[in-house]
Amino acid sequence: MIFLRRQLPLLITMITGLVFAGQYYVPHPASEQVLTSATKWMQIIGGFALVLGVTSLFHVHAAKIRRKEAGWGYSVVLYGGMLGTIAVGLWANGKESVEGVSTAFGWVYNFMMVPLQGTMFAILAFFIASAAYRSFRARSREAAVLLIAAVIVMMGRVPLGEYLIPMSGDLSQWILNVLNASVRRAILIGVSLGTVALSLKIIFGVERSYLGGGKE
Amino acid sequence: MSFAERMLKIDRRIIFMVIGLCTLLPLLYPVGLPIKISSEVRGVYDYIEQMPERSVFVLSIDFDPASKPELYPQAVAILRHAFRKNLRVVTMTLWVSGTGMADQLVTQVAQEMGKERGKDYTFLGWSPGGTAVIINLGQDLYNTFPSDYGGKPTKGQPVLEGVQSLRDVNYLVSLGAGNPGVEAWYVFGKDKYKFELGGGCTGVIAPGLYPLLRSGQINGLIGGLRGAAEYEILIGQKGRAVAGMDAQSATHLAIIVLVGLCNIFYFSMRRQARRQGG
Repeated sequence: MIFLRRQLPLLITMITGLVFAGQYYVPHPASEQVLTSATKWMQIIGGFALVLGVTSLFHVHAAKIRRKEAGWGYSVVLYGGMLGTIAVGLWANGKESVEGVSTAFGWVYNFMMVPLQGTMFAILAFFIASAAYRSFRARSREAAVLLIAAVIVMMGRVPLGEYLIPMSGDLSQWILNVLNASVRRAILIGVSLGTVALSLKIIFGVERSYLGGGKE
Repeated sequence: MSFAERMLKIDRRIIFMVIGLCTLLPLLYPVGLPIKISSEVRGVYDYIEQMPERSVFVLSIDFDPASKPELYPQAVAILRHAFRKNLRVVTMTLWVSGTGMADQLVTQVAQEMGKERGKDYTFLGWSPGGTAVIINLGQDLYNTFPSDYGGKPTKGQPVLEGVQSLRDVNYLVSLGAGNPGVEAWYVFGKDKYKFELGGGCTGVIAPGLYPLLRSGQINGLIGGLRGAAEYEILIGQKGRAVAGMDAQSATHLAIIVLVGLCNIFYFSMRRQARRQGG
């Protein structure tokens, strides 16, 4: 049993990891075919993950409704929205429009999902302005540098800013192209090296937390 | 409570009203200040401009309705440009929630430009797998998308003639609002399948993509509504983005003024506290 629970997954991980790390550098048709098959599997698994995600969501909210936890009414709305959308989606065969005419599923998408998502994003502008007013203060030297950089970039990114302070456009480009790009690149290199190290640890079985914490 | 303290604790609904007015008034009464073209946006425009007719251009619409205000005008401007250049336009999305919107967008611009589905353009739709879709497209397009979004088989469509995988693509632009987006197209696509890549994104994530731009991993970047407005000016067809720039100017200025005031009140409070302490 230990072999099935511990050693076999570690073996599969090691072989798959090494094969696909090497595959990148082997342009032979057979190697490419292996990649094609594997990514096709990944797409199929991705489809299953979607089903798993929806099932899990249903399960969590069903428990909330059953126990009448705080905010259980929202879970009922979620159930109604999801079941309703699935029903109209199946009814319309997944099509949002047929020969230019919107289906019920298209109606749900266009007149519910699009405006709701747009509204959520749009109200961010109001909250950001309010939060900036309350908390964007030059409490320290570092905060002052951040504040000045933010003001320059905000001015330089809009025509009115460039009109009022003509050099703000070039200054903002310099901040983005030089200061921002170099710091981001340093972070990216650090993260990438960390990812390589973690991948090697997983491939060679040093890092095993993904196997779960079951007793051997 | 001092004046500064009272001002710092101002009702947030007043701030909301200021921002609301700064957005609404310029939309009703546009000023039309000149917009300077940046080299990042020109990079994408120039590349499409020099592409020969019937070259293969892929536009990956990797966003959902939440990012529509910024990325929709970018997509419209790029599609207009590509159709005007008579390129073969292949569109798709990596975001399931953006599929319907992407289909409407592509169909609408194609109709406006008098283009025919299947011959001049196609919309492949969405396929599960996220970044795996990019790798699969690099291996075999027809395996990844056996049919387009309308259900027609992709094999045999004139728009895809001679296209077997991403290796046969002349230029790809990803308009991304997050992950998967521009970065994923570079890491899993361009790096291996060697096509030219450009990017478009929301203003928030644009600074994160500058390292890719500076190293030549992407040849251009259209950032936010400003980038879309620049592209609209480059193609000589002003649209929603240019119209929105005055509103964005006013809101940026309002936020700068608010932050300035907040700091004035903060320092005046601090000085007052010091005086009382001393």
